[in-house]
Amino acid sequence: MKLGSIAYRNIYRNKRRSILSATAIMVASMSIVLLFSLLTGMQGDLSYNLQTYATGAVRIRDAEFSRNERLNPMHLTIENVDRLTEELLATPGVSVVSPRISFPARIYRGDETYTSQGVGLNFDTEALYQDLGPEVLQKGRLPEAGKNEALLGYKLAGKAGVDIGDRITLMSTTASRGTNAITFEVVGLAVFPMTATNETTFYAPLDRVQYFLKMDDQVKEVLVKTDVGVDTKMMAETLKTTLTDVDELEIIDWTSISTSYSFIELAAAVYNIVALFFFFLASTVILNTTIMVIFERMKEIGTLNAMGMSGKDLVRLFFLESLYIAVIGSVIGVVLGIIITQILTRTGINLGAAMDGVDFDISSVLYPRLSLKSTVLVFFYSVVVASVVSIFPSRRASRIEPVEALRAV
Amino acid sequence: MNKKMIAVAGAFLLFMTALLPAQTADEIIREMDNLQSFDSLKVTGSMITTDRFGTKKIDYISWSEGDDQFIIEFTSAAELGQKILRTSEELFLYYPDAEEIIRLQGAALRQSMMGTDISYEDMTEGNDTLAKYNAELMGSEVVNGHDCWVIELVAKTRKVPYPMQKVWVAKDTYIPEKGQYFSKSGKLLKEMQVLEVQEVKGRILISRMVLEDKLKKNSSTEMIMDEVETNPVLGRDFFSLDQLAW
Repeated sequence: MKLGSIAYRNIYRNKRRSILSATAIMVASMSIVLLFSLLTGMQGDLSYNLQTYATGAVRIRDAEFSRNERLNPMHLTIENVDRLTEELLATPGVSVVSPRISFPARIYRGDETYTSQGVGLNFDTEALYQDLGPEVLQKGRLPEAGKNEALLGYKLAGKAGVDIGDRITLMSTTASRGTNAITFEVVGLAVFPMTATNETTFYAPLDRVQYFLKMDDQVKEVLVKTDVGVDTKMMAETLKTTLTDVDELEIIDWTSISTSYSFIELAAAVYNIVALFFFFLASTVILNTTIMVIFERMKEIGTLNAMGMSGKDLVRLFFLESLYIAVIGSVIGVVLGIIITQILTRTGINLGAAMDGVDFDISSVLYPRLSLKSTVLVFFYSVVVASVVSIFPSRRASRIEPVEALRAV
Repeated sequence: MNKKMIAVAGAFLLFMTALLPAQTADEIIREMDNLQSFDSLKVTGSMITTDRFGTKKIDYISWSEGDDQFIIEFTSAAELGQKILRTSEELFLYYPDAEEIIRLQGAALRQSMMGTDISYEDMTEGNDTLAKYNAELMGSEVVNGHDCWVIELVAKTRKVPYPMQKVWVAKDTYIPEKGQYFSKSGKLLKEMQVLEVQEVKGRILISRMVLEDKLKKNSSTEMIMDEVETNPVLGRDFFSLDQLAW
């Protein structure tokens, strides 16, 4: 009889033991699928949030701005915005452009002061750049160009005690390096994906922010999003050669902005370490059950040895048994992991209150995402680990003398 | 014989000078404050701030009454119509595009005024130095060619922007030729130097001075008083919130 058939039959000889081993492998592989999917989702979310709310895929600013950023140099602006936007949109690979003015502001309500971050946007075109639909706009409407109106993060509105129709007075540093204050009417409340953004951010029409900050037709930065698959580093390099006034601009891709991309890289490394730790734990479970299986079957090993089965064949037999169980356990585990991930991809995982006060570019609702790493690789890894770990105890068992093996039972 | 006479006369003069009553630090500071105080005053001038980003000029007109009533209105294009009102207790900011008058308090007072080296807190300093500081005469030094008393001022209360100050008061004019402003730990925060003075109705007034915020790199603000009108007629409610939006 072939070893493969014997190994397959052996699985059914002690169903409880086989089910236990397969279950351990299943739970481990399912957990790892879920973990990797969650981590993939988190990385995607972090990348989307940074590109949408902070850096764009490529960010364009005045050449001197970054060097003086800690001094809030509002006078270092970009001029000729319309021409720049046209040139950007004519560049192959550029999908959408967002000229904007982000500025720190203090909101005054009576005797109370609230620190906030304002963003002047062109709402006519911004909807192409970021989601401003009902998912974000929870109450009221978007501000209109030419009107002193604002869309507030719902937590900022709660802190300041304002609702739709209320008015807020805010003060900020202007492009003429002085200060100015203006009153905006709150026309909408937004729920941004990031908790920290909800606590500080408000949007206002670009033309009114330009008036308020004495910027005429200038903006502080232009954020660029690229088509899927476009190398953002290459895009930044291309723009450096094609745009007019390039000497006056800083063109930088989001991966080169140290604060954001380095964090993603660090996060990815940490996530992989966590996943490896998970793998390690799962491996010890598999190793443990395999060792127990082999020790339980010492009498059988002795008998097979006495009947002339070579040590190599014994190792192969146990390896094949483990392989079959690993394949069954891994298939069920990965499939279950995929099913649960798919459900969570639709419902999301609401971190809600846990993210309160966390200044982190991750959304409060996370959507796990399946990937090659979280499915196919996890399956193969689980099968390999579960099968390979059976070799060590079975090799040891194969070296035991038949008499000794029979006595051990 | 002549030489002997001169030596005797010199010794006599020195002796007589020693017999004159020496001025105390309090008296010097009181005289300094008195010279800079008017019933009311209108000043037209400008502030020129120079820092790493270049030079910026802000024009203003200010009105003051007594020690603690003060309004400044900015007249240069970028700040046109903005006003600051200081009353005995509080500081208010008026901006033409804001519906609310902003009352500054706490840490907000430490912010720079219009990007200059002057903080809003600096404006709360009146000419009643001895009410807020204990003065001690430290010696004499020559500053800008003037023989000056060096006086150290230590705050009596915590309600002052600078816990410690050092002023160099000219012995001939009682003008504070130089001032240094320190934190509680003794760190130099700001330094003031008088560049020019002018005589207004028989009194010497500072007409040009420079203030450096020592916490900023290469930054200074020059305050220029082009026109000074003493005792202008101001209405009864001139220094009130209602008057800010006139």
